[in-house]
Amino acid sequence: MKNIVEIKHFRMDFGKKTIIKDLSFEVHAGEIFGLLGANGSGKTTTLRALLGLYTPTSGELLVDGKPYNAEDSAVTIGYLPEERGLYRKETVIDNMVYFGKLKGLNDPLGWSQRYLKRVKLEDKANLKLEKLSGGQQQKIQLGVTIMNNPKLLILDEPTKGFDPMNRRLLMEIIEESHQKGAAIIMITHYMDEVEKLCDRAILLKDGVAHAYGTIDEIKKAHKNKSLEQIFIDVYGGEDE
Amino acid sequence: MNKNPLLTVTKFEFIRQIKKPSFWATILLIPAMVIVMFMISMFAGGKANEPTLDENTRITITDEANVLPKENPMVAKISKEEGKKKVINDETDLYFYIPADFKDTKKVGLYHISEGLDIFNTDGQVIKVVLKQALSSKFSDVEVAALTGNFEVTDNKLTKTGEESNALGKAIIPGVILVLFFFFVTLFGGRLLMTVVEEKENRISEMILTSVSAKHLIVGKILSMMMLGVIQILALIIPLIVALIIYKDNPMVSQILSTIEINPITIIENIALFIFSSLLATGFLTYIGAITPTAKDASQFIGPVIIGVVFPLYFMSSFMAAEPNGLVYFLTYFPLSAPTAMMLRSVFGTLSTPELIVGIVEIIVLSFIVIRLTVRTFQKNAINFSLALPSFFKIKK
Repeated sequence: MKNIVEIKHFRMDFGKKTIIKDLSFEVHAGEIFGLLGANGSGKTTTLRALLGLYTPTSGELLVDGKPYNAEDSAVTIGYLPEERGLYRKETVIDNMVYFGKLKGLNDPLGWSQRYLKRVKLEDKANLKLEKLSGGQQQKIQLGVTIMNNPKLLILDEPTKGFDPMNRRLLMEIIEESHQKGAAIIMITHYMDEVEKLCDRAILLKDGVAHAYGTIDEIKKAHKNKSLEQIFIDVYGGEDE
Repeated sequence: MNKNPLLTVTKFEFIRQIKKPSFWATILLIPAMVIVMFMISMFAGGKANEPTLDENTRITITDEANVLPKENPMVAKISKEEGKKKVINDETDLYFYIPADFKDTKKVGLYHISEGLDIFNTDGQVIKVVLKQALSSKFSDVEVAALTGNFEVTDNKLTKTGEESNALGKAIIPGVILVLFFFFVTLFGGRLLMTVVEEKENRISEMILTSVSAKHLIVGKILSMMMLGVIQILALIIPLIVALIIYKDNPMVSQILSTIEINPITIIENIALFIFSSLLATGFLTYIGAITPTAKDASQFIGPVIIGVVFPLYFMSSFMAAEPNGLVYFLTYFPLSAPTAMMLRSVFGTLSTPELIVGIVEIIVLSFIVIRLTVRTFQKNAINFSLALPSFFKIKK
């Protein structure tokens, strides 16, 4: 199976603090991959280094065989960061159209209007982003993330803070991207989401991979416990 | 992916800035202030206190029109060239040349040595007042009345080498460009810095850098600011031109208009200096935006940068001197002060063309270095939410 992401012996130090010691894993084209771990375990750092936002201390982080570059990568990426942020003083539609243009959409306005209708925010199109609730802003940001039908979708806690109804809507949208052939890397603390959606996963602890493989393989290696129980066992007693 | 991300970023940044009411408030406020100041100066000009002239001022007059009594000791039977030589040789302070056709032309030539700019003496009204005062101590009331009647005084400044100097006329266009440069830096510097900081403060950078490179993002922002600067300049220049046209018959305005020396090469040189100086100044400010995590942190650095840019103004007397000293040369080539220092020297006519070319090349090279550094710093610190000073500023424990 073709690897869309390859991470080889990745190490990341911030000053004297080592966040990732030695991490290697692959993400296959078209799969949903869970990147799991407690807060501060280095999940977001790994994704940022993969996207070229951090320079790794050592090791290789490759997208389609090359370090990622936003403007000349053959693989289109959609990235929903943990820190939500668009232009707060601009309108919803202006934000979406701008990102649509940057991502090379032929009709960014039309796409944005259709998406807003889908997520029931069409009446908010001309409002400044800062006038929307956190959850509404998150929906806009997810739209921006998926608007160019990315081949690799990187989602850092996509459903954090969502009510069950909107969480289901977002999972549907993510699933649609997967159906269109996108590989998805997902950071989440909801283990039920991982069990339901992910093909494979990696569990980080102390800067290395504590568990890595298909969901069944991970479970089998941990006496067929649920992922949530495995997580609790691995981090048992630690204060997150 | 977008085939022209630079254009997309530039357009977006330009449009979102011109949509802001604060932009238009600034745009309209400054020309309004200029017009008010202009009108005040016009009003005040008519009621100005009469300047005094030293009683010992040496005056020589050539009266080819025979309007003055010949027995007056100030009237000399010398040609205009000889009179000018007396000024150059410091044998007289003011030389008046009343031509034979004075009764038809109503024009009197005034010659004196000029050291740099002598703004007040170029005002025709002021010259007449000075002339009246100077003459009153040496001529009878009738003679003074004859000399200070309804005529025009052509002010001719001479240099010590004998060349006729039009320092003010040469300084007006570089001076206007210098003022525009200050407007640009003070009005748009902060705005530009904030648009860079905003990317980090609002956590936009993490998302946008997966869609566009830091280079295109930063350069696009700088280009949009330069375009906004053009709008600001037009907003300043157009009312000024309109005011000059409306008041063209005013003696002060007509004097200014007749004094302006329009030299296309000088204009091109100064416009080039303005463009690249603006690029360098915005480069410095975007760099601050790239190293600081929040608008609050960034605002602490705006002041020092602006002070650095206007620093040469504190040494105005050195810049006004006919011969630049070591400090002037230092400020001319020191990165932050170079634009203002070079523009000031252009205003005072002490910047030679080779120096200007060297200076512009230095500013271009520095601009590219600073912008390149800004791009790298922004890319590196896009999600660093603390102050990212270069390593040479950090104290090693």
